[in-house]
Amino acid sequence: MTDSKEKLIAELVNKGLDGDMDAVNACEDRMIRAKAKAMIVKVGKGTAERPPLPEAVSSVVSEVLPKETAPVEVNKNVNQKVKDMVENEFPGSTIDGDDFIQLYPQKWFEIASWLRKEESLFFDSLQCQMGVDIGEENLESRYNLHSMKHDHYVEIRIAVSRSSPKIPSVEQIWRIADWFERETYDMLGIEFVGHRDLRRILLPDDWEGWPLRKDYQEQETYHGIVVPKVKEGWE
Amino acid sequence: MGLLTNKFQDNVIVEKLDKLLSWSRSTSPWFFQFGTACCAIEMMAAAASRHDMMRIGAIPRSSPRQADVMIVAGTVTMKMAIRVKKLYEQMADPKYVIAMGSCATSGGPYWQHGYHVLKGVDIVIPVDVYVPGCPPRPESLIEGMLKLQEQILEERPLTRKMT
Amino acid sequence: MGIVRGEEMVLNIGPQHPATHGVLRLQVKTDGEVVSQITPYMGYLHRCFEKHCENVTYEQVIPFTDRCDYLSSMSMNFGYVVAMEELMDIKVNERVEHIRVTMAELQRIASHLLCTGVFGLDLGAFTPFLWALRDRERILDLFELTCGARLLYNYMWVGGLSHDIPNGFVESTYEFLDYFEPKVDELENILAHNKILVERSADIGVMPKDVAISYGVTGPNLRASGVNWDLRKNDPYSIYDRFEFNVPVGEGIKGTVGDCWDRFYVRILEIRESVKIIRQALASMPKDGDVHQSLPKKLRPPKGSIYSRTETPRGDLGYYIESDGSPIPYRLKMRSPAFTALSVMDEIGAGWLLSDVLAILGSLDIVLGEIDR
Repeated sequence: MTDSKEKLIAELVNKGLDGDMDAVNACEDRMIRAKAKAMIVKVGKGTAERPPLPEAVSSVVSEVLPKETAPVEVNKNVNQKVKDMVENEFPGSTIDGDDFIQLYPQKWFEIASWLRKEESLFFDSLQCQMGVDIGEENLESRYNLHSMKHDHYVEIRIAVSRSSPKIPSVEQIWRIADWFERETYDMLGIEFVGHRDLRRILLPDDWEGWPLRKDYQEQETYHGIVVPKVKEGWE
Repeated sequence: MGLLTNKFQDNVIVEKLDKLLSWSRSTSPWFFQFGTACCAIEMMAAAASRHDMMRIGAIPRSSPRQADVMIVAGTVTMKMAIRVKKLYEQMADPKYVIAMGSCATSGGPYWQHGYHVLKGVDIVIPVDVYVPGCPPRPESLIEGMLKLQEQILEERPLTRKMT
Repeated sequence: MGIVRGEEMVLNIGPQHPATHGVLRLQVKTDGEVVSQITPYMGYLHRCFEKHCENVTYEQVIPFTDRCDYLSSMSMNFGYVVAMEELMDIKVNERVEHIRVTMAELQRIASHLLCTGVFGLDLGAFTPFLWALRDRERILDLFELTCGARLLYNYMWVGGLSHDIPNGFVESTYEFLDYFEPKVDELENILAHNKILVERSADIGVMPKDVAISYGVTGPNLRASGVNWDLRKNDPYSIYDRFEFNVPVGEGIKGTVGDCWDRFYVRILEIRESVKIIRQALASMPKDGDVHQSLPKKLRPPKGSIYSRTETPRGDLGYYIESDGSPIPYRLKMRSPAFTALSVMDEIGAGWLLSDVLAILGSLDIVLGEIDR
């Protein structure tokens, strides 16, 4: 908290304790008002000391919140730069792609930990993870990473074959990947190796098939209830 | 349905008592708020300040064991269908069901490709009143409740066999 | 004599429980009253949103986005149309942008009102719930005036809006804002500084910064943990960069930064910021402009993909749209903010008393329609 804020609160608390609650209520900043009120109550109960009256009383109320400016960057999408860095660090792990980073699945866990730790990248947040059935006997997992610190993002794609869809899990690097990967497993049947709790998340445990694959056929009954739409008569 | 059904012969006292019973049942349809999806919000709105469903005697209960009417408000999925049946069975007789919204009536917008959506709650439990709409306005729900009250008022629990 | 250890008991909260805000099941392991582990089970409202998107056209997706988060349908529409317009490179006119921002912020107020009201209800305060719903009804009236629906609007279309705002809408909105602003103070006074509520929520369920980021928690929940992150400021979409407003962050006034009380209080502060934005948007709204001006004849985006984020009342809503050049989406993924917010439940909820778990759940402000999709 800034000095001017503390002074203002101290001033308001003193005024309030002297009976001038209007001054407290008239304060425009909610945070300061709430803090002042909380302190008045505490002093009243005897759990806090009355703050000393500040000498130079700040009369400006609105200047308490300095406006933070986001770093100005023209292009926040750093796919190409990161791709070169990954290729440097882990030779032979990337595949040519246009505006995203296409990786082989083998070293994904190591690359992910490196992306998370590397100071100049620092991708601390996994925005989105999704699976897609890209046809031609392939499934793909896509990761949208974002850095809260540097405010840049990349997209990473990992393709696996439909016959053995196995990708290393990154749930220990970004905790949210835990549920994202479970959802992708649930919907497309991609197996995340090393995931500590890989179960279906949305569908019941005894459901059959992977709904978001393009060749999905819904099951006829579930616990005796008919699943597909009933077409007779009214369509 | 009930224990008292067909236990008495028709006479004027039983007849009057019968009417009294159905009248008192109809004016206090405590409902079990079984909100699953969007319609639950409209059900809450119906019970809250402006629409105030309590004025017709319908008081929301959180437990099926205290309720007479079950309002199924929203989409019922396959995973939930088994629980819906269980909850219905936990209610004490006489019990009624209002299917609120098109999802509970027929699957609603999800009837075509919704592999996990139950196409109408009447597949698993019997429904007395259907309230159409996606979602129905609170007024529609109150209308549905009034229709149910009329239906209950017609019933003769002591003398006539109930349907 | 050793330490007395109780027997661990497994308790199921839900799927039908008034405090779970829908059909969520929490499997809670308790030792006496102390909770040692929480396992959420979802999917009781899995309505196959993503499968539907692969079978209907781009226009037809919009009503389904409504139904995902039924408490903030406008914001869900908004996110989708922003993503689609970015993918198809459509520019909409000024009037449309202003109406959209007005609607989205009204929706934010409505959603936060319900959240704060229900949070009070979870902790045993009934009156604020009725007050909050009373004011929410007036916002719904405004929406009804505009598009005829109370809850699910299908109002924002790709390239425009379904209707222009009716005559008298601006005046009614000003009237509502004048009525509403003192009511926020009232709500704050009865709820936020209420001793019972403070005792039940301050210092409870503290979510530290790094945990929040690692779990992908966004929106008011993240800001309550002291992270100044709001997409309207940090990555402005639509015309949010033109408006003056503050981003309230949790300061731990009653307890620690990131506790339940902070998460609840940030929402009340955000209601006030939204009022500010609406006033500015209404004041600068152009008088003329056709809302159907840039509606494309046929929605057929070029081949490619896009991931676009917007700020809904619950946090970052992401749409990943993969297009193969046909009028039907090849794959559409919704990254829902409530999904990530719920995932943190075990991390911040374990170790507290059973009654605190419901306070934590209420403060996260989840909507099951959006979690299960």
